[in-house]
Amino acid sequence: MLDKTKERILNAVQKPGRYTGGELNSVVKDKNAVDLRYAFCFPDTYEIGMSHLGLKILYSLVNARADAWCERVFAPWTDMEEQMRKYGVPLYALESGDPIRDFDLIGFTLQYELSYSNMLNMLDLAGLPVRATDRTELLPIVAAGGPCVCNAEPVHAFVDLCMLGEGEEVTNELIDLLIEHKKKGSDKQTFLRAAAQIEGVYVPSLYDVSYNEDGTVQAVTPKDGAPKTVRKRIVSDLDTMFSPSDFVVPSIEVVHDRTTTEIFRGCIRGCRFCQAGFIYRPIREKSADVIDAQCRAVCESTGYDEISLCSLSSSDYTQMEPLIRKLISWTDDAKINIALPSLRADNFPKELMEKLAGVRRSSLTFAPEAGTQRLRDAINKNVTEEEVLQTASQAFAGGWTAVKLYFMLGLPTETDEDVQGIAALAQKVVDAYYANPDKPKGKSVTVSVSASTFVPKPFTPFQWEGQDDGETVLRKQALLRESIHTRKVSLSCHHADTSFLEAVFARGDRRLADVLESAWRKGCRFDGWDDQFRFDLWREAFDEAGVSMAFYANRRRSFDEVLPWDHLDYGVSKTYLQRENERAAESRTTPHCRIRCGGCGADKLNGGKCDARC
Amino acid sequence: MRAVRLWIKKEGRAKYISHLDMNRCFTRAVRRAGLALWYTEGFNPHPYLNFLTPLSLGQESDGEPLDIRIEDDMTDAQILRRMNDVLPEGITVVRVHDAVTKPAQIAFARYSIGIELPTAAAAQAFCEKARALLLRGELTAEKTGKQGKRKVVKQVRICDKVQSAAFRTEGQCVLLDAVLQAGGEPLNPALLTDALQKAIGTDGLVRIRRREFLTADMQSFS
Repeated sequence: MLDKTKERILNAVQKPGRYTGGELNSVVKDKNAVDLRYAFCFPDTYEIGMSHLGLKILYSLVNARADAWCERVFAPWTDMEEQMRKYGVPLYALESGDPIRDFDLIGFTLQYELSYSNMLNMLDLAGLPVRATDRTELLPIVAAGGPCVCNAEPVHAFVDLCMLGEGEEVTNELIDLLIEHKKKGSDKQTFLRAAAQIEGVYVPSLYDVSYNEDGTVQAVTPKDGAPKTVRKRIVSDLDTMFSPSDFVVPSIEVVHDRTTTEIFRGCIRGCRFCQAGFIYRPIREKSADVIDAQCRAVCESTGYDEISLCSLSSSDYTQMEPLIRKLISWTDDAKINIALPSLRADNFPKELMEKLAGVRRSSLTFAPEAGTQRLRDAINKNVTEEEVLQTASQAFAGGWTAVKLYFMLGLPTETDEDVQGIAALAQKVVDAYYANPDKPKGKSVTVSVSASTFVPKPFTPFQWEGQDDGETVLRKQALLRESIHTRKVSLSCHHADTSFLEAVFARGDRRLADVLESAWRKGCRFDGWDDQFRFDLWREAFDEAGVSMAFYANRRRSFDEVLPWDHLDYGVSKTYLQRENERAAESRTTPHCRIRCGGCGADKLNGGKCDARC
Repeated sequence: MRAVRLWIKKEGRAKYISHLDMNRCFTRAVRRAGLALWYTEGFNPHPYLNFLTPLSLGQESDGEPLDIRIEDDMTDAQILRRMNDVLPEGITVVRVHDAVTKPAQIAFARYSIGIELPTAAAAQAFCEKARALLLRGELTAEKTGKQGKRKVVKQVRICDKVQSAAFRTEGQCVLLDAVLQAGGEPLNPALLTDALQKAIGTDGLVRIRRREFLTADMQSFS
């Protein structure tokens, strides 16, 4: 693994531990004893990628097979890239140190649009042509998965196929098929045509796209027997689903350095801006006993002292109280901390909060998303101001002194009053602290307001909406800043340009592939990193290609327009999304799925079953 | 509660794990090994675990002293076996005993240093020049440090901190056996090799391995 060249370049880069592998629980196999080698690529740094639960699940899942070996690959930081190019070291996998261009399957997980340029850069560093059509041999097959492939059109030219939805089953099916075709010596086209028959596999090259004169999509036409629509995959039963009993334990500190276990998939809330709330439906819960056993196993094999219970909305898990009781019965003695991310402000019992606070104090974050009730109704974030303030008060009484509040600017139907409402709500949280008789003595309160820019996403009720243009976003950010009158409230705003680019690619079509390649060739990579983001180069690339960014980001679509992702089926129906969009325009809420089923249609993915109806 | 000293060998890929990360790595390893660590009794209890001597990123060691405090009566042999069952590649516990001697007794450390140059002739030339440089006693290096939050550049008089340095060559490799100051303000051997390479004008691949710690009267520290 450590040859002289690698040693030399590792001596010259920051955090060499990112590039060495050899961590505890990493899997090393005999490469001659497996039929398939899989390079699981996360197109961002080691510290980000190693925090990702999906990677850990799929890594263990593939390595549980005797006939395949899955290794990890991350995007080298710019200093490492420079050294690799200087010494001609191709992108290698961490476990073996072997170049990934010799692997059979290269899979990228696309978690956010701003990592697309890294995918191209990694293919290039591997010594492979970035374009799928220039990779004419069967191997390696380049695949993509993750939430972004719900509209994979902007990257269609670079990947051979996409896996839609949850990967636990489709990954194994795809590996079986690739091994079969590798042994048969099939050509790439034969394999891709066969792969397109697997449910959940989307092969972009088997679809022709035509455009109208106004630039919108006219039609998407399948060929060579590919299905008309590709339906995403889900795992039916979470209790019996594969779940790793050990994780690779990073030797260097990563972002989420702890045990993570899912408690349920999907979300009952239906917040209209939230893509995750729709594309991961239907609701499926994992039982408390299974979670408890899995947490115990992972803590023992990793030595982690923190458990993170992962879901889109922790407090909607129906067995939370029994689960916490079970966990606390052994975590207390072992001095293990339990973290509950994605907690909603409206239904978290005080008793539970005290139980968690008893172990160790972590910070408290609420996401009211919008400043006024009117706008919260429009986006269907069914949280009232009273609920936010009441929960904050409880938290203050419990000893918390810092609260983070997340908001979005530029939501559909937003007015200046809504923007000012954010400052007003933050002020009320500050007031709630000082009104509290039990507040910790001699301590001040910190309310951190984070305001991101709304990005309309596919498969949400807002998929037809235009994003605010840059000027409007900046004006609203300034207005919000002016409206805050206390130093106890700190404000951080997202970069408007990054959200703009994200909006372009989120709802982009195939014509963005050329722009993406050109921007990457100009030097764009790590676009999600403020210190690396080169909006000037992106703008240059769009200008040279004669492609309008506003067409994709700021344009309001009509309901009858063919959307670039209409041939992909994520369960939720377009009529349901349209209905929700129309209710948003009237600032009307929709009750969550346990109060009344909204008829989104995702239950059809699970044979009509949905745990929201239990 | 018992104070135990573990001697940790660190080599191969593991040399790229930083000092801070070694702490984290051992906190977890001790948990996996099932050792009942003694926790500090402060507001935010944490396990007592202390590497006596930081080792620079990229350097190997035959034995780094790590002091821990345990609650149960596990024997030294049990601790050694249990720990080695759960440690990542390249990190091994080589010795375990009661922590008796004080870390302040550490005065020097002995290093084996290799510098790989393009040719055997270059290696021989390097040795001669390096000996002369050290004899003259003028070798200095710049070291960036912190004064509070401010970054400052300090001049380090390297020769003052070199107790002994024996050069020889093996093919195109310069092999240096050096005893450097490790107590007070220790000398990082990388500063020495950087200064030598800079003065001589070479850019060889450097490998550094810490061999042992010595007391002021040149006895092995344990």
